[in-house]
Amino acid sequence: MSPRAARLWISSPPLVYLLVFFAIPALIMVLASFRYAGELGGLAPLVGSGDPDELAGLTLENYQRFFGDSIYLELFLKSFLYASTTTVLCLVLAYPLALTIARSHAKWRDLLVLLVILPFWSNFLIRVYAWMIILGPQSAFTRVFNGALGLAGIEPVALLFSPVAVVIGLVYVHLPFMVLPLYANLEKHDPSLLDAAQDLGAGAWQRFWRVTFPLSLPGVYAGAALVFIPALGIFAIPDILGGTDGLLVGNVIKQQFLDARDWPFGSVLSIVLTVLAVLFAGMAAWVARGQRL
Amino acid sequence: MRRRPWLVWTAGVLTYLFLYVPLIIVVVYSFNDSRLNAEWVGFTTHWYGELLRDEQMIEAAWNSLLIGVVASAVSTVLGTMAGYAIYRFRLRLLPILVVMPIAIPEILMGVSLLIFFVMLNLTLGLVSIILSHIAFCVGFVAIVVRSRLSGMDESLIEAARDLGATPVQAFRLVTLPLIMPGIVAGALMAFTLSIDDFVITFFTAGVDSVTLPLQIYSMIKIAVTPEVNAVSTLLMLLTLVLIVIATRLAPGSFRGK
Amino acid sequence: MKMLLAATTILLASLPAAAQKQEVLHLYNWNNYMSEETVKRFEDLCKCKVKQSYYGSNDELLAKLQAGAKGYDVLVPTMGAVESLIKRNALMPLDKAKLPNLKNVMPGYLNTAFDPGNTYSAPYAMSITMIGYNDKKIAELGLPTDTWALIFDPKLLEKLKGKVTVLDDQRELFAAAARYLGYSVNDMDEEKLKQARDLIRKAKPYWAAFNAQSYIKELTVGNIWVAHGYSNDLFQANLDAVAAKRPFGIKHALPKEGAVLALDAMVIPKGAPKPELAHQFINFMLDGRNSADLTNLIGSGNPNDDAQKHIKPEIKANKAVFPDAETAKQLEMLKDLNAKQLRTLSRLWTEVKLK
Repeated sequence: MSPRAARLWISSPPLVYLLVFFAIPALIMVLASFRYAGELGGLAPLVGSGDPDELAGLTLENYQRFFGDSIYLELFLKSFLYASTTTVLCLVLAYPLALTIARSHAKWRDLLVLLVILPFWSNFLIRVYAWMIILGPQSAFTRVFNGALGLAGIEPVALLFSPVAVVIGLVYVHLPFMVLPLYANLEKHDPSLLDAAQDLGAGAWQRFWRVTFPLSLPGVYAGAALVFIPALGIFAIPDILGGTDGLLVGNVIKQQFLDARDWPFGSVLSIVLTVLAVLFAGMAAWVARGQRL
Repeated sequence: MRRRPWLVWTAGVLTYLFLYVPLIIVVVYSFNDSRLNAEWVGFTTHWYGELLRDEQMIEAAWNSLLIGVVASAVSTVLGTMAGYAIYRFRLRLLPILVVMPIAIPEILMGVSLLIFFVMLNLTLGLVSIILSHIAFCVGFVAIVVRSRLSGMDESLIEAARDLGATPVQAFRLVTLPLIMPGIVAGALMAFTLSIDDFVITFFTAGVDSVTLPLQIYSMIKIAVTPEVNAVSTLLMLLTLVLIVIATRLAPGSFRGK
Repeated sequence: MKMLLAATTILLASLPAAAQKQEVLHLYNWNNYMSEETVKRFEDLCKCKVKQSYYGSNDELLAKLQAGAKGYDVLVPTMGAVESLIKRNALMPLDKAKLPNLKNVMPGYLNTAFDPGNTYSAPYAMSITMIGYNDKKIAELGLPTDTWALIFDPKLLEKLKGKVTVLDDQRELFAAAARYLGYSVNDMDEEKLKQARDLIRKAKPYWAAFNAQSYIKELTVGNIWVAHGYSNDLFQANLDAVAAKRPFGIKHALPKEGAVLALDAMVIPKGAPKPELAHQFINFMLDGRNSADLTNLIGSGNPNDDAQKHIKPEIKANKAVFPDAETAKQLEMLKDLNAKQLRTLSRLWTEVKLK
């Protein structure tokens, strides 16, 4: 089989599938962002029926509304803040874990990786509810935590229904997406590099910072992208664990589609979110490529 | 690897703990003698009994499993092809198409797929759910496989060719086994994503097709009774058993994703 | 890979045999809004099966139908949503000849502005949005319970900091604010809405969360002392508190300034696969005994006259479930909004939640 035929045979099935079940529906929604909201919700017709009062056809008004209102800028900034915090925390928590697994005996690695994913085969909602129990005002954890704060002379804090709870929830849900790519990368590291560094007199921290970490950057970037991007659009966790100021972009998008039934505007928010997310992913990929050894 | 810095190791253990404490609560509370999932009252296996009598919940669990297996199987095949194609050939459209579903908010995907299916006059049901799940899982598998391929030693393939293997043989006997851990990891991720998906399934499910996340969501209002904990526990155990069986028959699959 | 194929085959082969020669009625209803016993009784009567799907809000229902979902035989929207569905031409007119039990419904609930002549809808059950509270704590603090001030007045809220939740629903919360400020829940004048927004903003720092789902649990456990919620949910919260042997009870009170009444009705969507069966089901649910089942189960209001004699006396005596005529005058039903109004409200809601 000629290379060209091979290329066709191998790349076509996924290409066609994604074109049909992803690209086309997505384009429908891009088109929707340029339409008016239907009088009774949803989308207004593309071709008007000649009624002068009826809204139909294409318009830029949804985009104008978005860019003309500073509240949405604030909303995006807030979501970026939450997503970045989540990503950094995930990195801090996932790194030692991935390192431990990568350096453990080969016979245990499979199991350890499996153990990381296992919790995620129970249901998402029920795990978030478990956090409600852990962070509730009457739980053992909260009481111990506030007791400790009390010793330091700080007022007790409400853990549940607060930004803290939302961040904890976000970190918890995205952790494996940081652990797996990091582990995949760390596992390929050549131990002899570290031995060489040690022979040259490098201490443990230096070995990590000058050898391991730089080598792991592609994994770090992959993990960061897989956490940051979904975290930008999530809504269930702020809904359940968040307090009165827990509104993020994902919640507003959900609101537009369900409560306000303003699909065009919901599409605009989604498209802006996607563009930003893709830009970020592109940046991460570009930096990773530059770092690849 | 004799080096065992206790700081890293402790941090690792603590992180495992962080992952597992909520899960332990889920499992323990499935035996809680209280309708509310709020604090411990007493021990009972009542909820497991309730579960076995709850046809709708069992059907939802079955559907979730079935959808998960089929969707992850198909997306693994398509994703592997995509990952390999992106690695091997200089494509422009496919790499973008593969990454996009991950970046797009789920609600947007859900609504657009629903509109699309309705346009095609496709009856909503298990099929529509499976088709939707495949759409967002293919990307994950492709990325994982591609990443694994880029770490592969090309000279092995060249050696095989030099020894007289055809391209197909080289792929089957050299490349495929080498990237198998990546394929398996991708399949696992796809399965996990499918089983737990709520938003997209919410929009593309048909009248008769309930999945576990949908069923549980419909119970939130009244109370997420320990029956939900019971079904989560069982589903998790069942999945674990399936995976263990799978790894027994394909040993070393995880090593070095 | 082979394992996945094998697993799939095994799964498919062992699926419970789905051979069902019976007819199936597809009911799309609110969560926990239908008694299991009633369903069983109907299944025995019609020798058919009833399959239920659930939604958590009218907006969910409308959004799915808007996007084209079909296959349902009976829906149970609130009257405002019924009005919206009628405008969209999405409903099948009811064949009154097949619904002799329609006469059981109290005249006050028939022939509303939402559906004149009940061409499309048959009233099923109702709930009122009100305030639920922890009776012990509120008595200790000496706070009034029959007013919306309990969730809006910062002077009262000071004593309740972090112990109050309100519904995560823009219509409901703005409606409560509207009644407190003294105007109609359906008044969408922008100035009035902005007043409501400011009122909400002032009270927000004292609230724990916007919560439409787990406030029953939070009240029963004692994490929350006051909740803005639906009467059926609050009734359930009290049942749970009693079952859990709490040292307090959950009472609910109808604010004197007025509140939102939600009347839910059964409708048949156009293109329903089994209209005959749907009519049979609706007529069945309009019979007094069947209608009373739900009230006895969840404490929902009941517009069915024939059902009154089947309802448990302690529920009948509950003023929050069956308000007296005076209070009933203060209740309003939410009308559906048009696109422009929704947009205004939605923008204010985002403001409320963001800042």
